[in-house]
Amino acid sequence: MFRAIRGILHFVQNDISSMTQVAIQSTIDYKYGFHKPENYVFKAKKGLSKEIVEEISRQKREPPWMRDFRLKSLEIFLSKEMPKWGRDLSNINFDDIYYYLKPIRNKAKSWDDLPKDIKDTYDRIGIPEAEKKFLGGISAQYESEVVYKSIQKTLAKKGVIFLDMDSGLAQHPDIVKEYFGRLVPPEDNKFAALNSSVWSGGSFIYVPKGVRVELPLQAYFRINAANMGQFERTLIIADEGSFVHYIEGCTAPIYSTDSLHAAVVEIFVKKNARVRYTTIQNWSTNVYNLVTKRMTVEEEGIGEWIDGNIGSKLTMKYPSVYLVGKGAKGEILSIAYAGKNQYQDAGGKVIHLAPKTFSRITSKSVSMAGGKTTFRGLVKVSSEALGSRTKTVCHALMMGKDSRSETYPSMDIRVSDVVAEHEATVSKIGEEQLFYIASRGVGRSEAEALIVNGFIEPIVKELPLEYAVELNRLIQMEMEKHA
Amino acid sequence: MSLLIKNLSVSLGGKLILQDINLEIKRGEIHALMGPNGSGKSTLAQAVMGNSEFRLQNSGARIIIDKKDVKNLKPDERAKKGLFLAFQNPVAIPGVSVANLLKIAYRLNNEQRTKKKNQEKIYNPALSVWEFNESLVEKAKKLDIPQDFLRRSLNEEFSGGEKKKLEILQALVLEPKYAIFDEIDTGLDIDALKIVAKAIIELRKMGCGILLITHYQRILKFAKPNFVHILIRGKIVESDGYRLAEKVERSGYKKWIQKSS
Repeated sequence: MFRAIRGILHFVQNDISSMTQVAIQSTIDYKYGFHKPENYVFKAKKGLSKEIVEEISRQKREPPWMRDFRLKSLEIFLSKEMPKWGRDLSNINFDDIYYYLKPIRNKAKSWDDLPKDIKDTYDRIGIPEAEKKFLGGISAQYESEVVYKSIQKTLAKKGVIFLDMDSGLAQHPDIVKEYFGRLVPPEDNKFAALNSSVWSGGSFIYVPKGVRVELPLQAYFRINAANMGQFERTLIIADEGSFVHYIEGCTAPIYSTDSLHAAVVEIFVKKNARVRYTTIQNWSTNVYNLVTKRMTVEEEGIGEWIDGNIGSKLTMKYPSVYLVGKGAKGEILSIAYAGKNQYQDAGGKVIHLAPKTFSRITSKSVSMAGGKTTFRGLVKVSSEALGSRTKTVCHALMMGKDSRSETYPSMDIRVSDVVAEHEATVSKIGEEQLFYIASRGVGRSEAEALIVNGFIEPIVKELPLEYAVELNRLIQMEMEKHA
Repeated sequence: MSLLIKNLSVSLGGKLILQDINLEIKRGEIHALMGPNGSGKSTLAQAVMGNSEFRLQNSGARIIIDKKDVKNLKPDERAKKGLFLAFQNPVAIPGVSVANLLKIAYRLNNEQRTKKKNQEKIYNPALSVWEFNESLVEKAKKLDIPQDFLRRSLNEEFSGGEKKKLEILQALVLEPKYAIFDEIDTGLDIDALKIVAKAIIELRKMGCGILLITHYQRILKFAKPNFVHILIRGKIVESDGYRLAEKVERSGYKKWIQKSS
């Protein structure tokens, strides 16, 4: 039935290493585990109800259709069961979460306008530095609301819209109404429904026909209130022949109770356009990170997800690409790092719906000191997708005795004229490798950082310099925790 | 100045492997350690380097590098004191190239020299990153190692002979005071063997004290040892000059094995 399906399955297990075990010490303070006094104009009470949702919509002065959309989504959320697959989510208490916070009355226009405690927070995670050097424009989200944005004037001149989602809705209701919830409808899953009913913040980007945005657009998100869920919503529309690279970076302080992050990202890549979406998430290890990300790519367009997950208690995230036009290309690069008590369940999905489409999923996962990673991949090739090619590559690295790694690649191919490849490797790093490196004068934590950084290097080199450096530094700090 | 091993008894998994080993390797000397399979040669190498799987059996044992007992130091600390081990079976390390490993190892081993350079005295300073890369490429060339090998994952998908050359390369770059070569000659063709022997002689000239663990006299013809020791069932049963290696070549280990049983 298949003319050419090549399935390459390397299963390399360098398990010569069960000698002695990595000593696991209790984790030291999380780097970003500080938090600033809370200072809000409005804070909804805990829990979710019709009244809360209506209040959110009223506070934001939204058009009636959005309020109705939120209320409909709430019903869907309440009627949907928790996902029965994947990981245990039973510890999430939906009644113990603040669904909306509005930190300051007016949005700041420049760095100087930001309140001091917010600036201090950003200083500590080094954002101004990053901004000065490389950033094209920042839209930093403090709590649910975007409080600071600096958009390059050139963007506006080119007709590029780069706003927080709330402003996007207020200023461009027609575009938002046309695209919002079209790729990820509230019916999609329970957490998409939750986001749809209480969303706040996120980014709205529109790039007009033929416009290339040369500098990456960036946004930082941050959770800073105990028990506060973060439900940002991002919508990107790249019109024909345009290009944009959007970067979302996250750090979060630590709290004793569990926190929930349930975002939705929708991206429309029109004919001949290209969108790259880069995320490096470093949630503190009490956060449930459950995100639905989806994009459609039309004829000859290119859609790329670069998705790095370092922090969180549990991540379940599978960015997906729908290749709907002839010759469309989709690429997903996924990096996951799971340390002690962490679970990274990540991967990607590609659906080929048109002829001569191309896709590639590359996953690199690291589990260490008892951390667990799962790769979940899905490639569907419909009967329309003649002459398509797809490749899935997943590499897992395990360090330490109790670390785990699982791989669930699946392929559903409904046409014979297709080239589908799959490659998977699992490497185990144990005492033997660490002893070898030590014999050269390199101690344990440096050796581990060397190994992990070497392992993820092919993906890191796709990141802008600033992020690559920060990622390497984060990995180094993670290794020192276990030294 | 020497690597001094005194009263060293070592066990692995509860089984006694080495008994009361005594050896002194002075800087600039080559010592050959010969013995049949399973006599404990690699155990000696691993124990001296500090592999924690190998337990020292007696509190009186000493491993002294230039008058400093390193018995309780971790392997990386022993390396920083100038000790080096070329492994018999170098383990694959995915994602780490020999260039990257050596870059960080060189930096960590030469922190003192780097510090001095940054202060006022520029006596024998560490190489800059640029100089380091130049010298690495040049040394690889000398060993006939293709340049792209330096960027590939260490010991992954290399032939046995290539791995051994990469071990030698690491020794040349790190310039240890004392180096143990555990069967560096196995799996080498005659050309590679000559290149490796030449590198060992070069190390000796630089003042490195060398312990050459081998089954065969072959490499010893090119890198003539000052002393040869015979290890049988975990004990050094005879030590002498080069002619002892010739004796082994002629009549094997039978004589000593019979005596020890």
